[in-house]
Amino acid sequence: MAANFWASSHCKKLLDQEEVSQVAQIDAERGLTPEDVKLMKIQFSSYIKTIGGHAKVRQRVVATAIAYFRRIYTRKSFSEFDPRLVAPTCLYLASKAEESTVQAKILVFYSKKIRGTFSYLYTSPEDKAYRYDVKDILEMEMRLLEALDYYLVIYHPYRPLIQLLQDCNMPTEMTPFTWSLVNDSYRTDLILMYPPFMIALACIYIASVLNEKDTRSWFEELRVDMNVIKNIAMEILDFYDNYRDIPGERINAAVSKLPHRPCLYEEHIWLRRVFLEGRVN
Amino acid sequence: MAVAVAGQLNLDETPTWGSRSVDVYEKIEQIGEGTYGQVYMAREIATGEVVALKKVRMDNEKEGFPITAIREIKILKKLQHANVIKLKEIVTSKGPEKEDNIKPGEANKFKGSIYMVFEYMDHDLTGLSDRPGMRFSIPQIKCYMKQLLTGLHYCHVNQVLHRDIKGSNLLIDNNGILKLADFGLARSFSNDQNGQPLTNRVITLWYRPPELLMGSTKYTPAVDMWSVGCIFAELLNGKPILPGRNENEQFHKICELCGSPDETNWPRVSQLPYYNQFKSERPFKRRVKDVFKHFDRHALDLLERMLTLDPDHRICAKDALDAEYFWTEPFPCQPSSLPKYEASHEFQTKKKRQQQRQQQEEQAKRMKVQHHPAPHTRLPPIQQQPLRPGSHQPGHNLGAPVHANGVPNQHNNNYNNRSQGGNNQGRAPGGRPPHGGPSQNGGFGGPNRNGPGGVYGAPGQQQPGAYTAPNMGHQGGRGGGYGGPAGGAYAAGPYGGGKVPPVGRGQQFGGMPGGPQPPAYGYMQQPTAQYVDIDGAYARASHSGFQPPSPPHRPDYRQQQR
Repeated sequence: MAANFWASSHCKKLLDQEEVSQVAQIDAERGLTPEDVKLMKIQFSSYIKTIGGHAKVRQRVVATAIAYFRRIYTRKSFSEFDPRLVAPTCLYLASKAEESTVQAKILVFYSKKIRGTFSYLYTSPEDKAYRYDVKDILEMEMRLLEALDYYLVIYHPYRPLIQLLQDCNMPTEMTPFTWSLVNDSYRTDLILMYPPFMIALACIYIASVLNEKDTRSWFEELRVDMNVIKNIAMEILDFYDNYRDIPGERINAAVSKLPHRPCLYEEHIWLRRVFLEGRVN
Repeated sequence: MAVAVAGQLNLDETPTWGSRSVDVYEKIEQIGEGTYGQVYMAREIATGEVVALKKVRMDNEKEGFPITAIREIKILKKLQHANVIKLKEIVTSKGPEKEDNIKPGEANKFKGSIYMVFEYMDHDLTGLSDRPGMRFSIPQIKCYMKQLLTGLHYCHVNQVLHRDIKGSNLLIDNNGILKLADFGLARSFSNDQNGQPLTNRVITLWYRPPELLMGSTKYTPAVDMWSVGCIFAELLNGKPILPGRNENEQFHKICELCGSPDETNWPRVSQLPYYNQFKSERPFKRRVKDVFKHFDRHALDLLERMLTLDPDHRICAKDALDAEYFWTEPFPCQPSSLPKYEASHEFQTKKKRQQQRQQQEEQAKRMKVQHHPAPHTRLPPIQQQPLRPGSHQPGHNLGAPVHANGVPNQHNNNYNNRSQGGNNQGRAPGGRPPHGGPSQNGGFGGPNRNGPGGVYGAPGQQQPGAYTAPNMGHQGGRGGGYGGPAGGAYAAGPYGGGKVPPVGRGQQFGGMPGGPQPPAYGYMQQPTAQYVDIDGAYARASHSGFQPPSPPHRPDYRQQQR
């Protein structure tokens, strides 16, 4: 697409580990730990992916939605932005930004349909999250746009991956494997922290080591900082080692720390006043 | 976001996430009527800077934030060029404003609005050329055309189609700088042949190329070049050249001027969806050269190549910038040498004219005299024909000196740059703070542009179903569409398929003793490659079962006018 990554807002807004993993104060007060937050982000990434799969959106839309989701929670709290609403809304927004629009009602339909699979995301049958509807998504969309500062372009590692795979003469049967490593990199905050091609390189690196393919000379020629590549690779492997199967109860414990009703924020108060008092000039 | 030290205010930094309120601006007046809201001239209270506010109306939107606005924001945030309008920021209003006219009881439905803040521009091309008595000089026209092509070339190399090039979307400031505006219909495209089909219901009718009229959904930047050709001819001719009232008439007018399309002048044209529908009994001959014989030779040559029926043979922006026209005397003048005019937007010019007409009519009534207001006409430029001195066109020498509007021979332009062809004009946007505001899409016809009830896509011609083109179909066996390029990767991969890479980390890195450790070059400092989006590449690999976005419904404003 237009321009290039280096001139993009995505590039200029890359964050470091500390910024990515900090817990909003209001969340910390409710007892959410950095580990809780990390687990919830992982779980909601697969939640987004599952809804996206049902709604048959392109994988790129899912990737963008997860990037939005993660970017939002570097700035906003889980307490104010209920992740169970933010997740489908991210998908909704990403489907527009990536030119494959999905109707909000379809997302609502599927998020209700998969409630059984993700029952641990809800605390009780009275949970407000059970009743999120189209209008909630539309309202949240505006708040997300603002939270994202209207920066909607996300660069993904997939295209550099294809180019790099061709360049390094990896056997083609390795492509699907490397591709799925990139898919899994979205279970981490890597997309917010590193240029996409570095993530692609790290996935190639993992794939080549696992399959005992010697790519050392190729990496040397690239003259990339191998320490960075290895850090990314470690992060992905850490996900496989420690976070692949997160017990539902663990997520449920984290979710139950969220307020049952999202905090009232400015707009709500305003709308409520308009509703009760009629027109406000 | 920097946090202020306790007890001190953070005065240095404006918060970067989240947007400001529209209250930081005060509206001065409405300068345009956009597809999804009004455009205002406004002043930033703190700095006094004049800007244009384009409102994105949110009520009555069933599908939330309009995708056209999302496209426009996405594209404008990406494009940075002297000849492309600059999106300064986005501001929001939390509640209704006085011009929203909310009826009591409806207030709780109100969702607030969003404004895009643009640099303010004094004029748009249509507004400027419709000014009474306005006559552009040839160097001036060349100057505008060159800037238009430069801006468009930038868009095209960045894979953005504008899809609504017309006079009222070309903004001009008092430094003579022309900027492309209103990217509300713009879209990014991939060069990939298998890309998503695009809607053919774009571009204002008069400027719409034949391939769109015939229902093509795989088109190229050539669509914008057709519009440029129409504008070019309009500038030289003094009035729109193809003012069709509906799609049929538009196509007919194109045929009359450019000849009927057939397999000889446009290979594969018969495969277009509505080819047979538009086929006329009696084929027309191309007569661009006859109709515009008063144009100078190079202008005519360039126009011929812009108004080429076959989009594959139509001149591209880069080649157009290289055309003889721009490199022969009189050369394009410097934008800064152009005369400065009082602000004129098509929206306002039209309004003013309406008021005048009303006054005249009232006067006429009072005096009981039948009085027909003289229709407004534009004055075509005086065609300089150094190469064909013999062909004098009496109709075009209305007595004004050649450089009527105070543009002396400013031929000393940067024609040395010719090799650049494209972007690199070394022309910074004047010394003054940028101005510019999209008088969105006005397109209101003046009296001389009455008529076009331009139907956007005749009913029944373009059903949404038309977009599920064959290549969008189900590519069965592609692993449910979620996998990698080879399909199935998703299911097979570690992403939930249950398979884990069969390694512990130690073994992992042990496999590569020592590992490659090249010197640590700052990886961020070598932006050598362009990492472009995956769109095209992925589209091929994936099953995209979803319908592409519905075509932007852009009700024809001329109809609304009625």
